[in-house]
Amino acid sequence: MIFQTPILALLLISALSAVVMLWAGWFALRLLLRWDLASGSRAQLEMERATDLVSTLFGFVMLAQLLSLLLYVFNADRMATLFVGAMCAVGTLNNNDWGFPTLYGKLAIFFVATMWLILDRADRTGHDYPLTRVKYALVLVIVPLVLVAGALELTYFLNLQADVITSCCSTEFTPETEGLGSDMSSLAPATALWLLGASGAAVALVGAASLIWKRGTTLFAVAGAVFFVVALTAIISVISPYVYEHPTHHCPFCILKPEYNYFGYVLYAPLFMGTAFALGAGLLQPFRKVESLAATLPARISKHVTLSLASFVVFGLVVLWTIWKSQLILFG
Amino acid sequence: MKHWLRRQRYLADFTLAALARRRVKNTGLIVIYSIIVFVLASAMMFSAALRNEAGTVLAKSPELIVQQLVMGRHEMISGSEIEKLAGIRGVASVKGRLWGYFYDSVNGANYTFMVPDDESYALQPGEAILGGGIGEARDFTWDTAPLFVTSLAGKMVKFNVRETFADDSALLTADLVLISEADFRSFFNLPPDVWTDIGVTIRNELEIATIVGKAQLVMPNARFVTRSDIERTYQRLFDWREGLMTALAAAGVLAFAIFAAEKASGLSAEEAREIGILKAIGWDTGDVIAMKLWEGGLISFGAFLAGTVFAYLHVFSFQAGLFEPILKGWAVIYPDFALAPHVDGLQLATLFAITVIPYTAATLVPIWRAATADPDQVMR
Amino acid sequence: MISLKTVSKLYNEGRPNEVCAARDIDLELARNKVTVLTGPSGSGKTTLLSMIGCLTRPTTGRVFVDGDMVSGLPEKFQTELRRTKFGFVFQRFNLIRGISVIENVMLPAAPLGPEYHELRERAQNRLERLGLGAKADMPVEFLSGGETQRAAIARALINDAPVLIADEPTANLDTVLTERFLEIVGELQAEGKTVIMTSHDPRIWQSSHVNTVVRMQDGRIIGVDA
Repeated sequence: MIFQTPILALLLISALSAVVMLWAGWFALRLLLRWDLASGSRAQLEMERATDLVSTLFGFVMLAQLLSLLLYVFNADRMATLFVGAMCAVGTLNNNDWGFPTLYGKLAIFFVATMWLILDRADRTGHDYPLTRVKYALVLVIVPLVLVAGALELTYFLNLQADVITSCCSTEFTPETEGLGSDMSSLAPATALWLLGASGAAVALVGAASLIWKRGTTLFAVAGAVFFVVALTAIISVISPYVYEHPTHHCPFCILKPEYNYFGYVLYAPLFMGTAFALGAGLLQPFRKVESLAATLPARISKHVTLSLASFVVFGLVVLWTIWKSQLILFG
Repeated sequence: MKHWLRRQRYLADFTLAALARRRVKNTGLIVIYSIIVFVLASAMMFSAALRNEAGTVLAKSPELIVQQLVMGRHEMISGSEIEKLAGIRGVASVKGRLWGYFYDSVNGANYTFMVPDDESYALQPGEAILGGGIGEARDFTWDTAPLFVTSLAGKMVKFNVRETFADDSALLTADLVLISEADFRSFFNLPPDVWTDIGVTIRNELEIATIVGKAQLVMPNARFVTRSDIERTYQRLFDWREGLMTALAAAGVLAFAIFAAEKASGLSAEEAREIGILKAIGWDTGDVIAMKLWEGGLISFGAFLAGTVFAYLHVFSFQAGLFEPILKGWAVIYPDFALAPHVDGLQLATLFAITVIPYTAATLVPIWRAATADPDQVMR
Repeated sequence: MISLKTVSKLYNEGRPNEVCAARDIDLELARNKVTVLTGPSGSGKTTLLSMIGCLTRPTTGRVFVDGDMVSGLPEKFQTELRRTKFGFVFQRFNLIRGISVIENVMLPAAPLGPEYHELRERAQNRLERLGLGAKADMPVEFLSGGETQRAAIARALINDAPVLIADEPTANLDTVLTERFLEIVGELQAEGKTVIMTSHDPRIWQSSHVNTVVRMQDGRIIGVDA
């Protein structure tokens, strides 16, 4: 089962990421122990140079992991025909217990890597490496995450069995069965839309406050994260049915299929971007008083807030357009 | 944002000029890189096209096929079962099918004999419609030369060939011999009212499982093969073969990655001098790394494009001549056919992941090393 | 404007081929003056010039530019400093082959992503000022020695850096071109620029355009003549 090209590609990416991260982790340890900006010693200079390499590698890993996330979902969808009972990615991922955890792991890596890169860029604007220690402490947190996600992925693929009858989105995402998926889909559409609207308004207000009065950015990050969760719930509970024009089809993966014009990507991309920027802004907020960053960081934070708000607005527009265009009538 | 875009433009301009300056060194790299992409892309496109063909073909076959099993082996099925199946609710139509394999001792080939259920192929006794591969296997000097075969009873039978299947259906029909029902039964010594298997058409896909369940109660010794079972088997077979090829190609990809890493590390004196100059006049390490990444990017893009285009031509215009033996299996009759072109995003993304990513990974550290060189050396 | 305080430079530190190129240098370089560093080969003048221009970090000691300590800055900021404060002309002019003269002149500013036409105009301007306007699009391989040197100076001036640093700028030039070079130096000084260069050539340190001569030997400064 493992000898399928997309799977081999995914495992390759995980393996490369793991190797890179292990080295980065080891470097991070060395740096945290020996970093001393005042010393002009050769070792210090070499460490400073090596930080450039780590930044480049992180960028590479993040892009590779993003590709990996897309490939993973796309491939799960295509592989659905191999499993009895599976009609889309959900069935493939449900083949054993490791499919969904792997997906969550990849999502987590995407967010964490993006935030690290945001921190890294901010660090480089200060002439005394102001955030370097924080950055590399964060690396030590990211390394195990990447390793665990890679292990989950390997376990998932090794345990894929064709003869297991798996459940499809129609069982996973219906109100009747048990589980998170069904809890989300059983949320009444009207409630879901109200929640979406309310959390969207909250995000917009807090974001505006952050831009105008330069306060509350941390709250904005939290609001962004909450909006992300609410949006996902809304996608399952009410937006997907509008896309499928079918009141009981709640699957969040089927919208990525070609028969729906890959609409899922248009929906998810701004949502993910908006959340990433919101979290990034929140991450940078505590450092705005650092001396070497004081001149540029506040503007940078504002830029992230603006980008986040813009992305969320795009998401909102896409949602509204879907509802307006759909033949399905859920209300009235 | 504008600054960033403009910056990229300057970097790209400089990189293109630099690549042109070092044409010889880079040509070798691009050629090898393209070959790697070509091999992998050909394998993937070929398998995908076959999978696609299988899918298209199977779309027309009945949703369920029922076969009689005796002691685990396939046996002819009695016509009385047809009524049993027709009586199950949800079944649109039930038809007996007659087909079988025939080993031709003359050339060691296997033919598929079949009675067509499509009215347009209705045949008279003594007539046959042949697949394109049979004439070749039997060295026919003209298209509709009669077919002489020895029946199971030991008698020599002559079939007048009414027509031969066109090449574009060769994937399915190459080894096919269509004859009338009467001829079939007499050729294979079959009593009336037995069939090779029974094809069941079911209108609603979602009911297939239920109908199979009911049919199993009525016919406990039968085997039920659904269309999706067949699809799955084919897909797995093609996937596996493709995956095996990829795994084998992994050795090639690894060798290429090492080669690329070495090329990237071995900066010529000229290149080292150039980087020194750039750093001295005001480019920092990040700028040099960006420029080198552009270099890698342009090389990758060129190789990826070349490899993919040639693979596309190879598979869809030249029938993947280089891979036939591996991917099709061993048979005396090779269909000579043209596959319907089919490329999708998943394929390209996968191809990208197994070629460009290893290349980039292999060259990142050498790039960084080159970029962090001390500009002081320039002065000397 | 530029100060060096007890600056030393060791190459290949800790290794068998360790060499001390500069020892305990204390030096003050004034603004808007033309200074020449001179001395026999191996005296450390090129090393000193490297450290002044932030091309390399001193092993010990500090370098200050306009009062800010620059020797300890992360490399990225040193580069920014180099870009904004210094223009370099190297011993072999170091133009990049395979691209045109004007593209070479534009190079130092490229990573900042300025507007293309504006940058090109600026570059053309510098070239014209040095008499190379007509050869802007010519590949650099076709320039004569003197023209190459002038192109290098044009490149050094693209970012309007206040300090021009030149390493043996007239080493490969005849008397006429050397004179021309010194004239250009005089013009630049009149515009308010500071010029620091190294040279073996007596014609340079004896020129009326030069304000200070720093004599070096074995990595130390042995005399400063104003």
